[in-house]
Amino acid sequence: MRQLYALILGCTLLAGTPLHNVHAQSLLDGIDAAPLAITPVSATFKDTRIINAQSNETPGKNVLHFVIAHRFGQINEGAYALWGLDNASMRMAFDYGVTDRLAVGVARSTFQKTYEANVKWRALRQNSDNSMPASLTLYSVAMANGLRWSDPSRENLFSSRLSYVHQAVIAKKWGSKLSIALIPSFIHRNLVESLSDTHDQWTLGAGGRYKVTTRASINAEYHYAIKGLPTDHVNSLSIGMDIETGGHVFQLHVTNSQGMFERAFLTETGGRWRDGAIYFGFNLSRVFNW
Amino acid sequence: MALNAQQHITRDGYVRFFSTTPIEDIEAENHQTTALLTAEGAFAFRVPILGFRFEKALMEEHFNENYLESHTHPNGSFEGSIDRFSDALKDGEKHEVVARGVLNIHGDNQEREIPSTIQWNGSGWEIESSFEVEPADHDIVIPKVVRNKIAPSIQVTVTATLLPR
Repeated sequence: MRQLYALILGCTLLAGTPLHNVHAQSLLDGIDAAPLAITPVSATFKDTRIINAQSNETPGKNVLHFVIAHRFGQINEGAYALWGLDNASMRMAFDYGVTDRLAVGVARSTFQKTYEANVKWRALRQNSDNSMPASLTLYSVAMANGLRWSDPSRENLFSSRLSYVHQAVIAKKWGSKLSIALIPSFIHRNLVESLSDTHDQWTLGAGGRYKVTTRASINAEYHYAIKGLPTDHVNSLSIGMDIETGGHVFQLHVTNSQGMFERAFLTETGGRWRDGAIYFGFNLSRVFNW
Repeated sequence: MALNAQQHITRDGYVRFFSTTPIEDIEAENHQTTALLTAEGAFAFRVPILGFRFEKALMEEHFNENYLESHTHPNGSFEGSIDRFSDALKDGEKHEVVARGVLNIHGDNQEREIPSTIQWNGSGWEIESSFEVEPADHDIVIPKVVRNKIAPSIQVTVTATLLPR
């Protein structure tokens, strides 16, 4: 009975309302839409890297993701070297999405003439309804130093050129603008420079982005070496910006790391921010559908 | 209850849009449209933008993040009425009608007259409609670099079967 009264009351009120006011309210008010299908959260980060470190993202299935990245010389070289722009270190990378969750890649850096082979797997994806509250992506890379042997007269093994990094990227997107990632990494090198150097190292990194417009964001990342680093090395800190132009993503940044592969920036960062020993650089990515 | 019996409704209406240029075709489909038609011909539909599925994941991401901004404008909608709607149309034939009202996409309203067809199938109304939407009309900015990939006018098709509420 109460429902009937409410209905009569509602009809009476509606009858007295001019039509355009009825339109201001929706006919669909009070009708529940079908629940949205639960989907993985997209675009936690705009690219497969935050700055130097991996983000949780991988190229989509059958997508070839090509990245060309530069780090110029140190800004404190001053006007003579055009604040570092006279020198550039380069990295070229091809990543291919085998599935929407699995990607494989190869890369070459001028830094120590290093070759890389990597595999990246989105183990877990954050869901639109937060039934899965965060994403987990696993990344493994093998790096081969391509420099000539410093002492060709002694017995040199190929395995001495190799180092490995295994990484987990735990990422979460809050709303449409803010995304944060925690990035623990394990670094192993087969050959170390001196006896006192350690073969294994752990780092704990954090990175994030904040979107300032629909196509641009401010990014930052930091990696802390848990066992400490030799005195000539420091932790990596980078600050940058993503600009998306449709098909391309430009990432512009300043960082104290010149190396762009994991072992280099996680454990061999040489620049100190307070000395201005930092590098301007960019990553430029382009996707091709295969 | 009598009032409800005069209303017809769906929650799984279909919307497809298609953009074609010499460089690229872009297509997306959505099966989650809610629509309602009253006995007087008042008509409304609402389509969740996040429900559009694309062939390529990156297209879907750009669609939601850069163009439709679905986090701020989660739904597209139409509110209006079907001209000269009456029970006389329940003859099983397909009738050409015009839906007149306000199309809201990306939070931006446009007065539209949308030619549609309507047919009584014995238990509900089958509605079909095909029309064009220009992103520029709804304040959707397409940057110059991708203008050769996204058509200036997008073809939209709606089909839905509305059953008694």
